Amino acid sequence: MSASSLPADRDAPIRFAAAVLLSAVFLAPLGMALLTSLKSPAEIVQILSLPHRPDWGNYAVAWNQIGRSFINSIAITLPGALLSVLVGAIGAFPLSQLRGRTGMIIYFFLLTGMLVPYQIVQVPLFDLMRHLGLYNTIPGMWLVHTAYGVPICTFFLRNFFASVPKSIFEAAMLDGCGPAGYFFRILLPASKSGLAALAIIQSRSIWNDLLFAMTLTSTDRARPVTVQLNALTSGLEVQYGPLMASTLISIVPVVVAYLVFQKAFVRGMLGGSSK
Amino acid sequence: MSITSATPGASRARLVYALFLALPVLLFAVFYLLPVAETILTSFQKWNGLSAHRTWVGLRNYTALFGQERFLHSLINNIKWLIFYLLAPPSLGLALALLLNREIRGETIFKVIFFLPYAIPPVAVASMWRWLYEPSHGLITVVMQSLGLGALAQNWLGNPAIVTYAIMGAALWWTAGFSFIVFSAGLRNLPSECIEAARLDGGNAWQIFWRVTFPLLWPSTIIVLGLSAVDAMRIFDIVWAMTNGGPAYASDVLATQMYDVAFGRLNMGQASAIAVTLLVMAAVFILPYITYMARHVERTEA
Repeated sequence: MSASSLPADRDAPIRFAAAVLLSAVFLAPLGMALLTSLKSPAEIVQILSLPHRPDWGNYAVAWNQIGRSFINSIAITLPGALLSVLVGAIGAFPLSQLRGRTGMIIYFFLLTGMLVPYQIVQVPLFDLMRHLGLYNTIPGMWLVHTAYGVPICTFFLRNFFASVPKSIFEAAMLDGCGPAGYFFRILLPASKSGLAALAIIQSRSIWNDLLFAMTLTSTDRARPVTVQLNALTSGLEVQYGPLMASTLISIVPVVVAYLVFQKAFVRGMLGGSSK
Repeated sequence: MSITSATPGASRARLVYALFLALPVLLFAVFYLLPVAETILTSFQKWNGLSAHRTWVGLRNYTALFGQERFLHSLINNIKWLIFYLLAPPSLGLALALLLNREIRGETIFKVIFFLPYAIPPVAVASMWRWLYEPSHGLITVVMQSLGLGALAQNWLGNPAIVTYAIMGAALWWTAGFSFIVFSAGLRNLPSECIEAARLDGGNAWQIFWRVTFPLLWPSTIIVLGLSAVDAMRIFDIVWAMTNGGPAYASDVLATQMYDVAFGRLNMGQASAIAVTLLVMAAVFILPYITYMARHVERTEA
C-alpha cells in the first residue's frame, strides 16, 4: 500500500455512503410513483406506507386512458427516428467531404438550427402542416421530426464520418467506386455504431416531445402519449393512482432503451454534444 | 486531395454531393428558414391564425408587450432559468462525476441511476413532481413533517413567490445527469500524471481541484455550459406540464406565454412578437457559442 493511495482508501466509505444516499434521492420520485401506482384510492394519501396489497387496477385504468396514444407514440417514434438518421446521414456525408468554404457555410447554417428555440416556428408550422394536409397525422409527425432532426443528425454524423480515415475513401475512389457507392457500400456499413447511437438519442427526443405534438395533433388519430399524459396531469380532479401508472407506462420504452442500449445511449449523448 | 480535384471525377463528385445535400437543405429551408421569416413578418401583423385576413400593425405588438406586466415577468423568469441552467445542473453533475471519479464500489450502478432521469419525458417528470409537491399528502411535505420541519412546508406549486423555484427543483433532478456524463467522460480523459504530480507537490484535494482538474476540464465545461444555455432558451415542456405557466402567470416563461397567446387566445401577431424576442435573446447568448464551436471544429481538423 503506497502512501499516495492511502487518502483514497480512507475516505472511500464516505464517498460510497454519499453515492448511496444520492442514489436514493435520485430514485425516490420513481419509487414513489411505483408505490402510488399500486395503491388503492384509500391508501394513496399514506404516502410513506407500502401498498397493503398491490392493486393492479390502476394500470387497467391507465391503459384505458393512454393505450391508444402509447401506440401512436410508437408509430411516430420508430419510423421518425429511422428517417431522421437516414436524412442526417445523406446530409452529413457531403459535409464531411467538403472541407472548404461552401461546406463550412452550410455546416454553420445547420448548426444554428440546432440551437434555435423550437417555439419560434410553432405558429407558421401549424399553418404549413394544415396546408399540406398533414395536420393531426402520424406521417406528418414523421416529417416534422425528420426535418427538425436535420441539424442534430447532420452534426452528429458529420463528426462521425469525418473521423473515418481519408485513405479508405481514396482507396475506394481508386477502385472506381464513386462517392455514392462509397457512401452506401462502405461508409454506412462501417458506421453502424454511430448510426445506432444516433437512432437511440433521436428516439428519445421524439418519444419525449411535447411541443410539436401539442401544436400538430388534436385527436386519438395521431396524439402521442406525452400529450395525453399532460392532459391527465393538468386535469381538474387528478387521481394519483392511475396517473402514476400512466406516467410509468409512458416512460417504460425510453427507460428500457436506456438500460438495454446504455453504452450507445451515453455515446450518442456525448457524440451529439462534443467534438 | 490535390490528385482528385484535378481529375474530371471531382466535378462529378461535387454533383453527387449536391444531390445528397438537396433533401436536408430543402427540409431546413422549409421548416426552419421560412417559418422563422414568417414569424418575424407575423410579429408586425394582427392575425387570428385561421382567417385569410391579416392586418399590418407595425410595431404595435412589440410596444404592447413591453408595457405588459405578464411579458416582463416572463422575460425575467427566462433570465432566472438561464442562470439556473448555467449554475445548478452543471455543478451537481460535476460533483456527481467527481464523486465517482476515484475508485468506488458499484460505480456502474450509480452511473446508471444518476443518468436515468435524463432519459424520461419532461411530461412524466412533471407528473411525478406534481405528486411529490402536492401540498397535503405529497412526499416532500410529509417527509418535512416527519423531520419536524412541517412549518416550512409550502404549497410549492400554488404559491406564486416560489413556484418557479419549485419547478427548478424538478428540472435539476431531470437534467443533472447530462452534465454528469459529459464531466465523467472529461474526467476519464484527463492526464492522470498532472494530478499525480500536483499531489506529490503537496497540494490538498481542494487546491488540486481548482488549480489542476478544473482548468483541464475546460473542454467539457464549455460543452455543458453551451448546451445548458440552449436548454434554458428552450425551456417550455416542464413548465407547461407542471403549471401551465400559473398560478396567475407566476411561472410563465416566454415560450409558455407565447403558446398561450398563440393557441389559447389566437393572437398570432403578439405570439410572434414574443417568439421574436426569444429568438433575439437566444441569438445574443448562443451565436457566439456556435461561432466558437465551429472555429474549434475547423481548428482541430485543419
